[in-house]
Amino acid sequence: MRNRAADRTGARLAPVFGLPAAAVVAVLLYIPFLWTTYISFTNYDGLASPVWAGLANYKAMFSDPDLTGALLNTLLWVVGLVTLPVALGLLVAVLTYGHKWGTWLRLPFLLPYAISGVAVGVIWGFVLQPDGALGQVLGFFGLPGAHAGWLQAGPGNTLMMIVAVTWQAAGVNALLFVVGLQSIPGEPLEAARLDGAEGFSLFRYHLWPQLRPITTVVIGLSIVASLKTFDVVWVMTQGGPGTSSETLALSMYKETFVLNDYGQGAAIALFLSVVTFAASILYLRYQLGDSREQG
Amino acid sequence: MSKVKTGVLLVLGLIWLAPIYLLLVNASKSIDGYDAKTVWKPGGFSLFTNFGDAWNKAALGETLVATTMYSVIAPVLAVLIGAAVGYAIVVLRLKHGFLWFVFIFGGTIFPLQMVLMPLFTGYADTGLYDTRVGMIIVYTAISVPFSAFVMRNFFTGIARSVFEAAIVDGGGLFRIFRSIYLPMAGSALAAIFILQATFIWNDLLLGLTLSQSDSVRPIMPALTGLQSTYGGAALPTVLAGGLLVSLPTVILFLAAQRFFSRGLALGQF
Repeated sequence: MRNRAADRTGARLAPVFGLPAAAVVAVLLYIPFLWTTYISFTNYDGLASPVWAGLANYKAMFSDPDLTGALLNTLLWVVGLVTLPVALGLLVAVLTYGHKWGTWLRLPFLLPYAISGVAVGVIWGFVLQPDGALGQVLGFFGLPGAHAGWLQAGPGNTLMMIVAVTWQAAGVNALLFVVGLQSIPGEPLEAARLDGAEGFSLFRYHLWPQLRPITTVVIGLSIVASLKTFDVVWVMTQGGPGTSSETLALSMYKETFVLNDYGQGAAIALFLSVVTFAASILYLRYQLGDSREQG
Repeated sequence: MSKVKTGVLLVLGLIWLAPIYLLLVNASKSIDGYDAKTVWKPGGFSLFTNFGDAWNKAALGETLVATTMYSVIAPVLAVLIGAAVGYAIVVLRLKHGFLWFVFIFGGTIFPLQMVLMPLFTGYADTGLYDTRVGMIIVYTAISVPFSAFVMRNFFTGIARSVFEAAIVDGGGLFRIFRSIYLPMAGSALAAIFILQATFIWNDLLLGLTLSQSDSVRPIMPALTGLQSTYGGAALPTVLAGGLLVSLPTVILFLAAQRFFSRGLALGQF
């Protein structure tokens, strides 16, 4: 009886509590989303009315050399960020896990994560300037590249920016892998150790298989983050020289707000959304699955 | 084996700290004392002069006030709105609650690029472009889905009898929300607040798109402005600016590390 009374009172006012969230999301996220989708099939300069253009903007994306360049750079970012920061994060996690000073030894890697992409761009732009800090280190050890203009030509400039983001992102991945390692039951590991497994073989046959769910999450997050790469590039090269280091996220911004080609910008945005969505499904599946088990 | 581990970690750690070292050392050099040939060597301590320079040249003072406003007000609103919808779905058993949830959480899946252009034109049409209110609204909106996600999960873990007892005691739904459910959710609310505040503090794209004047522009676009205007000429100033805007998030991060890892595991944007 109590239950029913509570349910009845609750159900009556429930929409009042739900409405603000739904309204704000609908007006500021969904309606713009639909509008951008529509605009991506038109020619639109932001002033005159949009003119239907079918798939023209999408065709341009895959044939205009500047945009295909951005597409390839974005692909480079995806490959770079699912390998470098993920591998380094895993290495740091495995080495620090169970280590006496693990928390302290992890700290240097975590620190850059707390710094914004803009500040990371400022710091690395400084490190990579011609004959700057990196050049001097290479020169000191007599290595090639001491006088290289790291950011002056593609695809080298994109690779160096991937290094900068690796510096920023490895620590978070390490943190996530540590969470994964903590969830591995200790007893089978002890048994494996007693059977003589150690070092790499312990990792390969006992830790790595158990880390699969968290690895999926880390890779999913990395793909999504790499597709959206904007601020580091904006700060370090603005996509240049020319368009040599543009990413799709940056091309979208330039097409729309610099070149006033809203339709082209919208097409890039929609393409990015579809790919991001596909990548998100990869790891959302795991996460929603987890929260259901807990709740 | 353990020594090898420690050795590898120390070497890697030093490499990782090198850019921070370079930042600190060169942000501390006076503009006249700075020399591109000696970036690895410490020299002089003009850090606070450089802070002052960055502060004045990029109008960091004004943008700092604006950014602080955005990073506090928007997450507070988002946390309340998210908690309210979580309360409606889980506690009040909102009809079709799961659909409401999917709709709201669906707001996280498309990248910001997807909403930039309509927001820009819409803001221009409604007079919200380049206003502090406009910035607060948009930052609130993008923070709501994540907040709703966490709050729904959190409220799921609270026994239903709490609500039933409160109803029997004659509490109104608003009062039960305000004086029972919100206080209980303290740690979850704090976690969302910290994550969203950091995200907003570090935002470049929305600030670049929707604002222009010094009094409205958030701090990250202001810093990029400083870099492009004073680039080669006064690197210590630019670096000092970079250091200055990073301090709040670094301090927050070190103080609340576990919130960050938890939030990340929950799938932050």
